[in-house]
Amino acid sequence: MIRERFNIIGATKTALAALLLVFSAGQVVAEEAAATAPVTATASAPAATQADATYIGEKGCTTCHETENKNFGHTLHAKVFRQNPRTEVEKQVCEACHGPGSLHAKKTKDKNLLIGYTKEWGTPVEKQTAQCLTCHKGGQRLHWPGSTHATNKLSCSDCHNPMAKFSASGLLKKRSITETCQTCHKQQEAEFKKRSHMPVPEGKMSCEDCHNPHGTVTRPLLKADSVNEVCYTCHAEKRGPFLWEHAPVREKCTNCHVPHGSNHDKLLVSARPFLCQQCHSPSVGHPGTFYNAAGTAANSLNGGTAGQRVIGRSCQNCHSQIHGSNHPAGARFQR
Amino acid sequence: MIRKTHFNQVETNSKTDSHRRNTMNTLPRRKVLACCISLAFASMALQQAHADSGYGVDTAVGNAFNTGYVGGVRDTDATAGHTPTGQMFNQPYATEEAVAGETHGYVEIGVLSKQADNEDAMFRAYKDPKSGLYLNSFGVDSESDNARFVTVNGGGVGNNDQFYNLTVGRYNDWKVKAFYSETPHVFTTTYRNLWSGTGTGNQTLKSLTPGGTTNAATTDTNIEAAALATPYSELSIVRKKGGVRGDLKVTNNISVFAGYSNEKRTGARPFGLVMGGGGGTGGVEIPESIDYNTHDFLAGMNYADEVNSANLTVAASLFRNNIDTMKVENPMFLAAANGIASFPHAIYDLYPNNDYLNVKGEYARELPELMKGRFTGVVSVSQSKQNDNLIPSTSYSGAAVNGVAGGSWDTVDSLSQPTANLKVDIKLADFGLSLKPLDDLDVKGKVRYYETKTNSDYWACNPLTGQWGRLINDGSGNAIMVGSATAANNQPTYADAAAANLAINAAACDASAVQALGIVAAAGNNNIHSAPYAYKQMNYTLGADYRIDSGNSVNANIERETMQRQHRERDKTREDKLKLGYVNRGMEDGTLRLSFETDKLRGSAYNPDPYDEFYSASLSALPFATGTNVSSWIHINALHRKFDLADRDQNILNLRFNYMITPDLDAGVAVQLKDIKFPDAAYGRGSQNQNSVNFDMAWQPSPEMTVSGYYAYQTGKMEQQGLQQNACVIGTTYNFWSDGSISTVAQTAAQLAAGVTLVNSTTVTAGNFLSGCGTASATSSLYPTSRSYTINQKDQNNTVGLGFKFDFDNKNALDANYTHTNGRTATSYTYNPYALGLYTSGAPTAAQLTNVGLIGNGFADQTFSLNTLDASLLVPLTKQSSVRLLGHLVFGDIHDWHYDGVEDLPNPNTNQQTYLDSGPQNFRAYVFGVMYQLKM
Repeated sequence: MIRERFNIIGATKTALAALLLVFSAGQVVAEEAAATAPVTATASAPAATQADATYIGEKGCTTCHETENKNFGHTLHAKVFRQNPRTEVEKQVCEACHGPGSLHAKKTKDKNLLIGYTKEWGTPVEKQTAQCLTCHKGGQRLHWPGSTHATNKLSCSDCHNPMAKFSASGLLKKRSITETCQTCHKQQEAEFKKRSHMPVPEGKMSCEDCHNPHGTVTRPLLKADSVNEVCYTCHAEKRGPFLWEHAPVREKCTNCHVPHGSNHDKLLVSARPFLCQQCHSPSVGHPGTFYNAAGTAANSLNGGTAGQRVIGRSCQNCHSQIHGSNHPAGARFQR
Repeated sequence: MIRKTHFNQVETNSKTDSHRRNTMNTLPRRKVLACCISLAFASMALQQAHADSGYGVDTAVGNAFNTGYVGGVRDTDATAGHTPTGQMFNQPYATEEAVAGETHGYVEIGVLSKQADNEDAMFRAYKDPKSGLYLNSFGVDSESDNARFVTVNGGGVGNNDQFYNLTVGRYNDWKVKAFYSETPHVFTTTYRNLWSGTGTGNQTLKSLTPGGTTNAATTDTNIEAAALATPYSELSIVRKKGGVRGDLKVTNNISVFAGYSNEKRTGARPFGLVMGGGGGTGGVEIPESIDYNTHDFLAGMNYADEVNSANLTVAASLFRNNIDTMKVENPMFLAAANGIASFPHAIYDLYPNNDYLNVKGEYARELPELMKGRFTGVVSVSQSKQNDNLIPSTSYSGAAVNGVAGGSWDTVDSLSQPTANLKVDIKLADFGLSLKPLDDLDVKGKVRYYETKTNSDYWACNPLTGQWGRLINDGSGNAIMVGSATAANNQPTYADAAAANLAINAAACDASAVQALGIVAAAGNNNIHSAPYAYKQMNYTLGADYRIDSGNSVNANIERETMQRQHRERDKTREDKLKLGYVNRGMEDGTLRLSFETDKLRGSAYNPDPYDEFYSASLSALPFATGTNVSSWIHINALHRKFDLADRDQNILNLRFNYMITPDLDAGVAVQLKDIKFPDAAYGRGSQNQNSVNFDMAWQPSPEMTVSGYYAYQTGKMEQQGLQQNACVIGTTYNFWSDGSISTVAQTAAQLAAGVTLVNSTTVTAGNFLSGCGTASATSSLYPTSRSYTINQKDQNNTVGLGFKFDFDNKNALDANYTHTNGRTATSYTYNPYALGLYTSGAPTAAQLTNVGLIGNGFADQTFSLNTLDASLLVPLTKQSSVRLLGHLVFGDIHDWHYDGVEDLPNPNTNQQTYLDSGPQNFRAYVFGVMYQLKM
């Protein structure tokens, strides 16, 4: 039976229409918001800008921002800026990030006169990010421009909060890398609670073990050159190569496994033996067989015939070396 | 557990003033409380990460009771506000002003009481709470007044999930980090272990006789009795990993780093043992012993100035398996085979040692004079290699396949090469150029090349005998190429199969010489050569990001991905992708992100059977004689599509909307709709989808109370179609009946009585078997469409998380989090019982009716639910100390049809096949603790 062909053109048109509709709605909302918003960077009078300001030193800042200073003092930024600055910018402490504050000190409500990192302050995201990259350019952020998160207009401060120490390192806005990522990625948070999952909720892994949220050249923000090379960083034994290779295994682990969580054993994308049967339907042997509920151990008591490919580890009851075999007899992954 | 929640954000001046007044009134007492609460959180104040998102793993070093850091202490900060997206920033408690050169420490120690069902593998999958004295966490932070610092912390002391961190350094100059962490992985607590020596390379049967007793039937009974008499035990591994890394800022522009880590992984997990020929004539679930040792080295340099950025890294990973081969005693009775009288043991060649090396260079250059452009380039070269000593096909001496002596199958002389001599070479080059032709427009083009190539070239031929193929399953079976049993295929050159075999063997493993013989083999599916898989991937991407105004932007990305694969069903595939995105940050109270992606994969002609050259079919002439079963020359249904290479249409819609409902209440909704179709896959995976909707909120009506919650709903569906093969024998006429059944005989009386009529007939000939049998059709004798069946798997998952935090009278604090998650996978199917032979055409028997009744329309649903309640009540004693009462309650329920009945019937058939793992079990686990916290 040949399946009905999916109407991709129709689906595309529908999605584009939806996108346009939401975009239009967003425009209306944005315009309404702009009309009612407090003074923002773009709406403020052009009379004065931060470019005209000069540094006033951190004492000038902490005079008003006593609480912030207390919080900030425990952060790595504070330690670096105050105890061992390497550049003139770092010596400015508060103004290293917020820019020169002389005009802000005079007109504290003018949001054009200081770089802020909150929704309320309204500094354009690009400006915020550029300020952070003044010092944090390159390294693990080399691919930030044009990355998925950059294109989605995330600011550094959507994930980081340098004003207080919430995380052991990284100046994250939450207690851990994982909690930070999951403030937006709720789907993945839920997937990590499925029957089989990576040990992320148990604190033994973080999202950054596999992903670099600052951008990479491998989708989806993977830290290595391919999916498999990411997986091999922990599963080095599966790196091989093996005398007898299993083609989809060599190409991509995600052909059979989902990375975050699964309703099935071993993070499999589907129940066995059906996952295996999606590729294997040979002319001889068992893989093409219709396996069914009569094959469970329980039903063997009721007249059924217990199936080696139904019970327990299913196909891997025999093909236990499914990731590849180094045994000369292991072409079918049985040794 | 759900994430910790935020404290209130007060936006208007009036609210701020009011809040500050409240703060001032309660500040002294709250500071005491704050210190204590900070100690409570100090139990989670760990997770010392490398903080390097660019390289390496181990970015989280903690455990289930210490999943993150909440050591920060400060006054509530009315000006903290929201992230640029609109999510409330966290707001912890008051603190003293930081003073350079101070030393701080904390410790939380107490007594835990854990009560849980014995079968609690799911609870302990990655954690290890135990009853008794428990040092949950400790830490010391110290710094000098010249920017030098040292940090030590750890937790879970003595348990299998313990962890420790040490960092020393000088701020903004250098640092050295060391860590040690253990991760348990409990696979099962319901394993009936029949062996001693589990965890080693030699497992011996405790009570059963190796090789069985008397005969298969007696042995079958003995195995079942032994299994039922064996109490459940645990199969698990523990990962013990430690490492050290140093970072140094050489100049303001250059930093270097180097690190080393070592992981030892020991224990055992369920594994499969099969004996006999072909697909096996019986098997027993055995423990696989694991003793891995992996060394990882990493070194690199980063450079950045105003114009240039460059990274250079070198990584090496050396995997060592201390149990390279595993010998396990076999409890099954097997008949003598291949000249071997009995099979008291089996030997596995477990994962071989391998060496991996990667060198990677990354470069970016700003091009301000070229439309504010930016160039990026990445070149990466990797190699993974192994040259493990191969082991012989069997350890039993005297093996003689098909009566041919002198094969020495128990020595590596019988192999075409003594060592594996394998490597995979991987190359990556990625170049991109972004330009800003307009102030509000960014465009970016990118080209990516990725290649992976395996040098595999193993020939399965015994040079001592000239026999092609393999002696399998320790010699208890074989898959050796021999002449056709239908003598006419090879006559008159060869009188019979024996004569053909002599000619094959005399060719002395010369493939061309064997081909020249023109012999028709008995089977076309004996593996004779390994497949050197390789692929080259090219990606061409063009993207644009246009800022409509300060708050709105749209982006578009088009991409073509081409793949060239060797020895796969398609030589070339191309995937065209279009992604459109819209971001609205212009709303005062919210942020909207929306994207839609549509992909289409197509490619060159699909060759359903590209593996002929690796099978005996490539050495053989095609059979032609009447009576020859030619099924093994077909290999696969030509209409079957492997999903990774099949035509694919994919659409993905993503939406994320964050909204600040009030200054102290924010909410978010995220939606993902994913639909995938495989339009040319008549057989194989036909379609799948996955749709998710997620809601989250955080509310803090007062500084004393925080409420948070989220709900995640996900559905998924995967449809596939299979076809259970029938037969293909030259000269045989196959009759196709109106009820879907196929036979080689005339209409039976039962069929006549039932009104079953002949629909069609096909006679297989030497000239038509490849096409007629090879492609599914109504009249294909091998793949008749009436024997098709469908499998439909539907997933549904719900997760609810609730968090509540309340400070009672500023004296003590309650922190409670509850999570419920459930998942269900329903597997249904459709099939024709007459076509599949489950019913006798025209006259189903009572036994058949019973069997089909058991088959029904699907399996019992796989279900899983987990309820987790974490509660913590903190009672301050002094400014420096407090007592924390904690409870961690987890209830899990699971049903998986794979294990239905295994507990009571581990040996359900009489073929010795035995399942020793009864699978995951329901459990109830209660952990209570009284912890004393001290801050120094």
